[in-house]
Amino acid sequence: MSEKKIRHIICAVRGRPESRETVTKAIDLALEYEARLTFLHIMDAEFVEHATVIPLSVIYQELKGMGEFAMMILKDRAQRRGVKEVDYVIREGNVIKQIRQFAIETRAEMMVVGEPKNWPGRNIFKAQEFQAFMDQLEQEANLVILRVMPEE
Amino acid sequence: MKKWRNGFFLLFLVATSLILITQQVGAQAESPQKTALISGTIFDSQKQPVAGAEIVWSPQPGGEPLAQTTSQPNGSFALVLPETVKGSLLTGSAIRSSNSSEAGLPLSQVLTSTLTLQISRPHFKPDAIQLDQAAVQSLKAGQPVALPEIVMQRRIDLGFWIATVVFILVLVLIASGQLHNTLASLLGAALLLGISYLGEPLRQDLFIFNFNNALNYVDWNVVFLIMGMMIVIAVVERTGIFQWLAYMAYRISGGRTWLLVPILMLITGVASAFLDNVTTMLLMTPITVQIALSMGISPLALLMPEVMASNMMGISTLIGTPTNILIGSYASITFNDFLKNLTPGVFLGFIGLVIYSEFVYRKELLSDSEEGVSALLLEKLAERARITEPIHLQKAGVVGLGMLLLFIFGENVHLLPSVTALMGATALLVWIKPDIEEMIEAVDWTTLVFFITLFIVVGAVQEVGLISFIADGISRVVGSNLVLATLIIIWLSALLSTVIANIPFTAAMLPVVAFLSGTIPGATDKVLFYCLSVGSALGGNGSLIGASANMVTAGIAERAGYPITYVYFLKKGFPALVITVGLLTLWIFIRF
Repeated sequence: MSEKKIRHIICAVRGRPESRETVTKAIDLALEYEARLTFLHIMDAEFVEHATVIPLSVIYQELKGMGEFAMMILKDRAQRRGVKEVDYVIREGNVIKQIRQFAIETRAEMMVVGEPKNWPGRNIFKAQEFQAFMDQLEQEANLVILRVMPEE
Repeated sequence: MKKWRNGFFLLFLVATSLILITQQVGAQAESPQKTALISGTIFDSQKQPVAGAEIVWSPQPGGEPLAQTTSQPNGSFALVLPETVKGSLLTGSAIRSSNSSEAGLPLSQVLTSTLTLQISRPHFKPDAIQLDQAAVQSLKAGQPVALPEIVMQRRIDLGFWIATVVFILVLVLIASGQLHNTLASLLGAALLLGISYLGEPLRQDLFIFNFNNALNYVDWNVVFLIMGMMIVIAVVERTGIFQWLAYMAYRISGGRTWLLVPILMLITGVASAFLDNVTTMLLMTPITVQIALSMGISPLALLMPEVMASNMMGISTLIGTPTNILIGSYASITFNDFLKNLTPGVFLGFIGLVIYSEFVYRKELLSDSEEGVSALLLEKLAERARITEPIHLQKAGVVGLGMLLLFIFGENVHLLPSVTALMGATALLVWIKPDIEEMIEAVDWTTLVFFITLFIVVGAVQEVGLISFIADGISRVVGSNLVLATLIIIWLSALLSTVIANIPFTAAMLPVVAFLSGTIPGATDKVLFYCLSVGSALGGNGSLIGASANMVTAGIAERAGYPITYVYFLKKGFPALVITVGLLTLWIFIRF
């Protein structure tokens, strides 16, 4: 695996301030390997499904706009650092399923994600689930997963 | 040919009307001039009219009823005594005679020196009213008798406890999020009706109310008003007006965050005064996050003041919050009444909220971005902040203005707000001609079912007397002190609304406030209803779960990477609650 050429790196983040280290690491690696860097943002809107009169399509459109904005900031950051090939992808639906699907589809060689920790708000993964998911994904998508621990 | 047909139809219509009128007049002429009639009005101990009480006259205790009637929604009844009574019905009576058994005895012979009426109603102690000799003489002479006010006493039965437990269960399920709001209240309504129908044959006191009684508690004015406004909102939300307004706020502020905060708060607040808060925040939050990210500041420094303004300024109009819709419909408080009595106070609260927000977010409002405002992002922001459907927006503007005028001036012709909302929604649909399927889907039927079933659940605790006992309790505490009652209603509502859903709370409090308004001197100007409006809405600022708009804002902010936790909201929101409720209390004392 270590001999495998890294051409494409996926960085799955939400864009929150705590993911700064994860993004920095992904940019560093993209520069090191001269790889393409894709920021992946998954949006789920199940929290509003029962709370509003607005159709989900309109909500997703708004959330997509917001997600794009956050990803544009990251893309801009990577470009300023000198990453030549950088883009972002916004997907909607279940976060775990979408990450798995995207990793398999793109055949990227590496994925950079933030290690879940106790932060205010809802974690996508619980610690044990995260470990199991990462192990499974490494096998299924044949890629290296790099976990970055956010600073305190 | 068409003219002939129309003429014939008109002739037919006139002839039919004449026949009906003649028959009516004839029937009236044939009716007896002198009727032995007993009238009266029944109240509970809170002076609320008792509807559905059965009033029965039977000459012998436990005998066949010879006359019976039911009290009306205003508590009044009129019991018509028969002119003659068949002797066979007078079992055991001294006046019974063999030859009168079929022909019937005149009423004057049946009536003895006194007459007793039996009054009964589920959840009340049975009562017996005895008419004195003079009253009986009047009846014998065919004169009507008007009884003095009858007061029925409540009875705590098994139905009382069941309705109370179901009500609390619904509140807990809603507050804890164990079940969706609608499912929780639907479950409550189904339990109450199911127990009433299936339990009554087993034990009579398991009966709470029947289906018709339950439906009488549903305020259809509220249901139709909300439905009409949902259609209007569905058209407006797709026009991009919110995004455009938020971007204009940024442009007007010139990037000065201290100025951007009040402008965004004002836009959100004014929008919330006419649309529902959840929709407003759903559309404002994403664009606000984008503005904040462009400026390199924390989105929470803009979102928290926005959502607090939304919760507060919604109460300036009748249609701004579901609680105001409930209060307005129940207490006949009009659109203009809210404008006159609450809007100035809301602006006072707004000023306080702006000062508080500027102070508490003074650090977060400073840009933490090394590069400052991003030109690239601002360019993208301008691109997004476009009116996407200008024609629809223009039409919605015209219809919205018409609706506003009808809300304001419609009260002169007793036009119900629900009728205005329905007319506005229909006019908009006819004018825009959108995909009707899509528009009907835009109506949140789940919310409407929530309201209908909630009315039934709250109606049950009203029916069994829980609300009366609460009203009695509060009444004992406040006595005839209006100032104390004002303070208790505002602050109790505000504090309770931070932990329990304010819609069921308000629905349950309405009869309590009505009772207090009727008993406390000086409270007849509906001041206590305004207190309930202020408390129940502003309580939403006290905690994350205090208002649906908070939850939605937190959900979106979290997806942008800026979570709003329960503790965070409490820290920032609770002082805002104290400040704004304090200012609104001050306003209410000034105004009333």
